[in-house]
Amino acid sequence: MEFDANRPIWLQVMKALEMDVITGKRRPGEKLPGGRDLALSCGINPNTAARVYQELERANLCETRRGMGTFVTEDEAVIAAVREQFIRQTIQDFLRSMAQLGETPESAARMILKEEA
Amino acid sequence: MLESKEVTKTFGAKTAVDHISLKLEKGHVYAMLGPNGSGKTTWMKLAAGLLKPTYGMVCFNGEQVSIESRKHVAYMSTEPYFYTWMTVKDVGKYYQDFFEDFSYDRYLKLLKQMELTEKLKTKALSSGMMAKLKIAVTMARDAQAYMLDEPFNGIDLLARDEIRACILSYATEDKLLLLSSHLVEEMEAIADRAVFISEGRLVECVDLEEMRTRQGVSMADRYRQIYGHTEG
Amino acid sequence: MFKLMKYEFRKTWITKLILLGITAAAEAAFLFNLYTDKEDGLAASIGILTVLAIFGVLFIGLQSVITLHRDMNTKQGYMLFMTPNSCYKVLGAKVLENGLSILVTGGFFFALGALDITLLFAKQGQLNQIWQMIQDFIKTINEEIPLTADALAAFTFSLLADWISIVVTAYLADVISAALLNGKSFNGVISFVIFLALNWAFGWLLGIATRSIPNVVTSMLVQGGISLLIAAVMYVLTAQIMEKKLSV
Repeated sequence: MEFDANRPIWLQVMKALEMDVITGKRRPGEKLPGGRDLALSCGINPNTAARVYQELERANLCETRRGMGTFVTEDEAVIAAVREQFIRQTIQDFLRSMAQLGETPESAARMILKEEA
Repeated sequence: MLESKEVTKTFGAKTAVDHISLKLEKGHVYAMLGPNGSGKTTWMKLAAGLLKPTYGMVCFNGEQVSIESRKHVAYMSTEPYFYTWMTVKDVGKYYQDFFEDFSYDRYLKLLKQMELTEKLKTKALSSGMMAKLKIAVTMARDAQAYMLDEPFNGIDLLARDEIRACILSYATEDKLLLLSSHLVEEMEAIADRAVFISEGRLVECVDLEEMRTRQGVSMADRYRQIYGHTEG
Repeated sequence: MFKLMKYEFRKTWITKLILLGITAAAEAAFLFNLYTDKEDGLAASIGILTVLAIFGVLFIGLQSVITLHRDMNTKQGYMLFMTPNSCYKVLGAKVLENGLSILVTGGFFFALGALDITLLFAKQGQLNQIWQMIQDFIKTINEEIPLTADALAAFTFSLLADWISIVVTAYLADVISAALLNGKSFNGVISFVIFLALNWAFGWLLGIATRSIPNVVTSMLVQGGISLLIAAVMYVLTAQIMEKKLSV
C-alpha cells in the first residue's frame, strides 16, 4: 500500500478499510485480518495497525469479539450512515472545487447531467 | 527498556556522541536518523557494549550494558563482520553456539525468504546478499531488543519490501526495534517513533503519527527541516 | 569456553595443518635419506626438521598474537565481542588454545626428534657428527644440560612454558596499545617497550628463582612452572584491562 507520508498513516488505512466495507468488498460480519496481519500486509507499524482498529471500533464500524478477532459490524444502519457520510464528504469536496471555478451547485448539477447524457 | 544516560564517546579530539540522553521503550519501532557521521553507528555500538563510553552509560532494563545484556540485545553492525572462512551455514552454527535465543529453524526460514543457501561462502557474497545474511542471522534470534544499523544498505529496491515485512513480522509488543538508516523514506511506514541525531547530539525523539496529525509533517519532511541547511 | 576455544582453533588450524604437512614431507625425506645412506641429504633433512621444530613453535605463538590484534582492531572482532562472553573467557580461550597448541606442537616435535635419534642410532650404531651437532646446538642455549632424556624433556618444557609466557606478555602489550593508548601517537612503540621491559624483568626473576637449585632437571621444571605462573598473572591483568577499557 502506498501512503501519503504527510498524513497520519492509521487514517489512510482506516479510510481504505471503510471504503472496502461501504463498497461491499468486505461484507457485514466478515472477519478482518488481525492487527499483526494488517501491519504485515500493508507494511506498516503494528502500533499503527492497532490504532486503525481502535478508530474503526470507535466509529462502530467493526467490533472485536474476545478471542475471536475483529469483525465488520452487522449493523447495516451503521454501514449506511458511513456510506452516506462518505458520499456527502465527496460531494462537498467536489462543490468546493466547483466554487473555486466560479460554478454554483445548480450549474454544477446541470453539467453533471449533461456529462451523463 | 534501553536508556542512554548522558552518553558521550570521544575518539581523540573528535566527539562522536555528545551527552545523549534517551529512553527507548519496548513495543515500538524506532528509526534512528541523521546524516553519515552524525553518531548513529557509534551510539549503537555503545548500546551493544562494543564501545565503552567516555562518559555516561547505556542501561538495558535498568542495568548497565554488559555480558548479560548481550544475551538479550541482537545487534547488527553495518559493516560485514563474519570470519572470512565461514559459509552461510557456519554463520548460523556460530550464532547457535553463542546465543541461547537463536533458532536454527528460524534461520533456515529466513534464509529461504532471502533466497540464500547454506552452502554459500560468505567471502563470495555480493554486498546485497551479505546485507540479507546479516539480517537473517540477527532476526533468527528471539531477542528482546534488536538494533539494526543501516539494514537497507546495499539492498535493492525490490528486496526492501521483503526485508521490511521480515523485520515487521518480529516487531511484537514486547520487543524493541531500533533501525538506523539514511534512507528515510524506507522507514516512514514501519517506524512509529523517530530519533534524530545531529553532530553527536540528540535533536529530538518524536512520535510519528502524532507529528503527522498535529503538524501534517512526514518523517522525511522533518528530516529536511532539521538537516536541510547543513546538507545544502 | 570450549566453544570459544573451538573457534580460536578454527582461526589458526590451516597454518597448523600446513606445518604438519611440511614436517611430514621433511620426515619422509629424513627416512628416505637414512635408509638409502645419503649422508648429505640426511644432514640437510635433519637441519630442516630442527628449523621446523623451532620456527613452528615460534610461529604458532606469533600467529596467536596476530589473531588477537586482528580481533581487536578489525570489524571481524565484532564476531567475538558481540557474544555474551566476558573478556576473561574470550582471552582465556585464546591463552588455553594457544598454550595447548604450543605444548602439543613442542611435545610432538620432541617425540619426533627422540624417535629420529633412536632410528639414527639403530641404523648407524654409534655417535656420529650429527649427534655432535645436536649437542653443540643445545650447548649454545644452556651449557649445563646433560644429554639425558629427562633433562631434555624438562628443558623442552621450560622453553615452551617460557614461550607461552612471552606470548601472553605480548597479548598484554597489544591490549595496552589497543585499549589504553588507542589513538595516541607512538602507541605501538610504547607497548613494544613495555613488552621488552616485562620480558627482561621476568628473565631476571627466573634467574633469581632458580639460582639456588643445584639439580638441573628440578631447576628447569621450576623455571617452566614459574613461566606458566607469569603467563597466568599476565592473562588476568590483560583480561581486566580488556573488560574495563577495550572498545572494538
